[in-house]
Amino acid sequence: MMPSLLLAVTLLWPLGLALRNVLRLVMEQGALGRPGPRPALLDYWWITAPVPALLLALWPQEAVLLMDGWLLGGQWKLDDSGRPWLLFSALLWGLAGLYARGYLVAEQQAAESGDGDAFRRLLSFALLWPLTLAGNLLLIVAEDIPSFYLGFALMTFAAYGLVVHAGNRDAHLGGRAYLIMAVFGEGLILGGLLWSAGTAQVLTLTELRAGIATAEQGAWMATLLWLGFGVKAGVIGLHVWLPLAHPVAPTPASAVLSGVMVKAGLVGWISTLPLGAVGLESLGRVVIVLGLAGALGAALYGVIQRHPKAVLAYSSVSQMGMITTLVGVGMVSPPLWPGLLVAITLFAAHHGLTKGALFLGVGISEHPPRLPGWLVWLLLLLPALSLAGAMTSGLATKWTFKELLYDAGHGGLVTWLSVAAVGTTLLMSRALWRQWQERGSYRIPLHSPMPLAWLACILAASSVPLWVPLAGRHPNWPPLAEWPGLLWPVSLGLVVAALMLLAALRSERKWRRAQRLLPGDLWWWYAWLASRLLRLLSDLAEEGERRGSLLRGRLQAWEERATVAISELPRFERSFRRLAVPLMVGVAVVLLVGLWLG
Amino acid sequence: MSQAWLPLATLATSLLVVPLIFALPERAWRARTALNLGAAMIKVVLVALMVWGLYQGESYRFSFTVVRDVTFLLQVDALGLMFAGLSSLLWLATTVYAIGYLEDSPNRKRFFGFFSLCVASTVGIALAGNLFTFLLFYELLTLSTYPLVVHRGHTKALNAGAIYLRYTLTGGLVLLLGVVALHVMVGDVSFGEREMLADLGPEAHGLLTVLFLIMLLGLGVKAALVPLHGWLPRAMVAPAPVSALLHAVAVVKAGAFGIVRLVYDVYGIGLTYQLGLLTLLAVIATVTILYGSMRALAQHELKPRLAFSTVSQVSYIVLGISLFGPFGTIAGLVHLMHQGLMKVTLFYCAGNYAEELGVHRIDQLNGAGRRMPLTSIAFTVGALGMIGLPPVAGFISKWYLGMGAVQANMPWVILVLVASSLLNAAYFLPILYRLWFRPGPAHGIGEWPEERHLGRFETSGWLLWPAVATALFSIMAGLLAGLPFSPLDLATFVTAEEYTP
Repeated sequence: MMPSLLLAVTLLWPLGLALRNVLRLVMEQGALGRPGPRPALLDYWWITAPVPALLLALWPQEAVLLMDGWLLGGQWKLDDSGRPWLLFSALLWGLAGLYARGYLVAEQQAAESGDGDAFRRLLSFALLWPLTLAGNLLLIVAEDIPSFYLGFALMTFAAYGLVVHAGNRDAHLGGRAYLIMAVFGEGLILGGLLWSAGTAQVLTLTELRAGIATAEQGAWMATLLWLGFGVKAGVIGLHVWLPLAHPVAPTPASAVLSGVMVKAGLVGWISTLPLGAVGLESLGRVVIVLGLAGALGAALYGVIQRHPKAVLAYSSVSQMGMITTLVGVGMVSPPLWPGLLVAITLFAAHHGLTKGALFLGVGISEHPPRLPGWLVWLLLLLPALSLAGAMTSGLATKWTFKELLYDAGHGGLVTWLSVAAVGTTLLMSRALWRQWQERGSYRIPLHSPMPLAWLACILAASSVPLWVPLAGRHPNWPPLAEWPGLLWPVSLGLVVAALMLLAALRSERKWRRAQRLLPGDLWWWYAWLASRLLRLLSDLAEEGERRGSLLRGRLQAWEERATVAISELPRFERSFRRLAVPLMVGVAVVLLVGLWLG
Repeated sequence: MSQAWLPLATLATSLLVVPLIFALPERAWRARTALNLGAAMIKVVLVALMVWGLYQGESYRFSFTVVRDVTFLLQVDALGLMFAGLSSLLWLATTVYAIGYLEDSPNRKRFFGFFSLCVASTVGIALAGNLFTFLLFYELLTLSTYPLVVHRGHTKALNAGAIYLRYTLTGGLVLLLGVVALHVMVGDVSFGEREMLADLGPEAHGLLTVLFLIMLLGLGVKAALVPLHGWLPRAMVAPAPVSALLHAVAVVKAGAFGIVRLVYDVYGIGLTYQLGLLTLLAVIATVTILYGSMRALAQHELKPRLAFSTVSQVSYIVLGISLFGPFGTIAGLVHLMHQGLMKVTLFYCAGNYAEELGVHRIDQLNGAGRRMPLTSIAFTVGALGMIGLPPVAGFISKWYLGMGAVQANMPWVILVLVASSLLNAAYFLPILYRLWFRPGPAHGIGEWPEERHLGRFETSGWLLWPAVATALFSIMAGLLAGLPFSPLDLATFVTAEEYTP
């Protein structure tokens, strides 16, 4: 009873907090319009939004909640496979929320003192943040397909408001890229879900996976779903929104976007695809290739970006490419899946929190806390090294999947992944370098929300393997003999980064061309293609319209002619009248003749 | 033969109001309002009574013979009651809305008189028990709607009215031909006696196919199937409550409902399937859905965009019917109600923007969310529902359409659904973007075309609350679809009746 109640509260609490802001406004009617002091929106209550979710994740029992009246039959549950996802998601959401309170403090003060614009923007942030969170939590705990889709859609669309928070041109461009890709993904997901759920005649995700595994067209259904969720997970080709949306979103929103929401795509794969069952081998090979292409390509393209958050976004694409590769391996060799799932879960939790810490760190380098400079930069370096696989959770994660892949005879893949790790090191160096160049000088107190959230995030990120409740065996530390094999990519990456730095310092001009490579890479090409297509369509439509009006005109002309003909009929009337007497006489004569003859 | 008075009384509530309204003087605002609202509420209660009775297994029937072999028959079955329930509920909302909308405008007496007549014919269509009665009310609907369409009386309205009459009267004539021919073939065709045509044997199939096509042509005009949809976007000149009613329950829905009756209760789904006509319906619906969405995308004014969206969305009903199997039927029927709720919300909101701010074009809507938050929230709900996002009702329709497509072994329909969802998103999301994320007059940039302050809230309460109420209903119909007496539950009930021999 208690866990299911907690499950309901997990979802209701953020929704209630979102509503609370609205209600407060309604009660202070006209607060939007009039000048003067406004209520603080991001207060401590607001930060507690993910607390019930954390409690639920730490609750020892499994939680199940059945609701007959909800959509087509609601079924929410949290079991041991969902627990790590809920835990790290809720944790990052909570830390990012705390951070947001500090990050938006200027806006908050402006709003409280009566700046209407700031207040409005803050209001939409305060409203959409818990809504996005609720969607994210729902998709983790949902077991029935409609709830899952609801959670996914709620998260996707509510997050749009977070992306465009700044309200400037770049933000709207980033928002548009985000939304268009998201809608495209939603369409694919809808198609995949309808097709597979219709074929299997099921309503829950567990049955759906079983249904796809046995369906005749199962591979195609899986492809649709993989692509649909791939938009969120940043699969190469569908990743274009990441580097455009991340730099423009407020830093705490970027952190959850990259840390947690991108993982929703992964959650989507794990919950809908029949991983671990036979039948997806050919898809799996494509997935591996695309995953590796993403892991390497994003690293190459990301290195030349200027905005640290764009670099970090490309790093997310690259890391998600690695995870995608692992998912692909699971498709190609199903027996490996249970072990891979553990590795992927660990990877997701590690990447989520570490990337969260890195994003939060971007704000920290702009507004450093009152700590010694070397300590701040050391702390900024820590998650970067961890992500590259040299330290703490990164090392453990890397060892976990490397061991697994080696044992299964996928040595080649490990090499490729190591090359990608070189790329990650380069990206991290680049991001830190850009952060260093754009570092701020205004220092904020250590006891304010921003540094506290950041420090907590670093702590949580480095200790992921210690606390994340994995279902399978627990990850162990690599034996000392393996360390050189694990550390060479980082070392190589550092060397390359140093060489690149030297080269860049030596010749400033060569880099001009690289700077023209905008974030969003393929997006610009897609946009060009779409505009061409639209022009073609509108030309066609105009042509059709012209033909249509021609036809209409012709019909109208006929009709007018017919009307004229009809209105001229009375003319015959006179002739009829004139003919009447001769006609009657004639008829009479005919009759008489007939009588005479008869 | 029990309780013949109930369907008759339901019909009478709106029919008897008509002479009373015409008898009242133009300035008797209070009396007319009380009369309108009272009748609308009584009707909701009566329909609710019948729904309750039907679930208890009661039957309601009223008939008399007009001439030999031709009877006037009112009969309550689940399908008709669903439509009657929708129309009575939305009539109540629209009456409230219309009272607020037409405040201080001339010819209110005429408007409400014909408005009631229009609703009476809709209820008549819903409760009609045979083709003759159906046709009677169908034509009455055509004629009673005309004064509403041309209510404003300017040239554009009169032109639109003329086009409306051309389309619908021609359609009615074609339908009459079909009905008479069918009458000659088998006599009085009561709804539900499906074996009548099925028993005719294969030699009659050719003729039956032709007759089906003729009647489909007649009904398709009102249901705005492409290429017979031309009148609908032009009829947009009508006042907002009329457009709302026209699109949600009255005319367009009457056509769609007629097609539902034709397929399920005259021919029977089995026979229609045998004749191969379902595939034809599916193709027509597909073309209409995609074409309507494309045209909607090209509109720059709010109401025409909504009009083309209706063209597209109403065909979901036809698409649902054309999917052979219980899921397809549920989808079609449930969308009959869901589309009504969502579209009526959208039209109320469009009317509110026009009345309060003078906004007609989409690019004038920048930042309207700040000026009119509740209206904009209602609009957002309606739009998201049209796209098919949960938890709004449209998702349930789309889900069942998908299930039905697979069940009928036509998985390509899912492709149509996805394409249509994307197109819907493409023409609704930009509006939402303007409403909420673009700064506009409410933020001190530019001015509203014609701003008025109609009430204590963001606009007059008469205009606001119906929109909010229908938006709430749209969410609840989706979110709580599993509860008894939800549209989904009703549709499932009807379908169970339809498919159990």
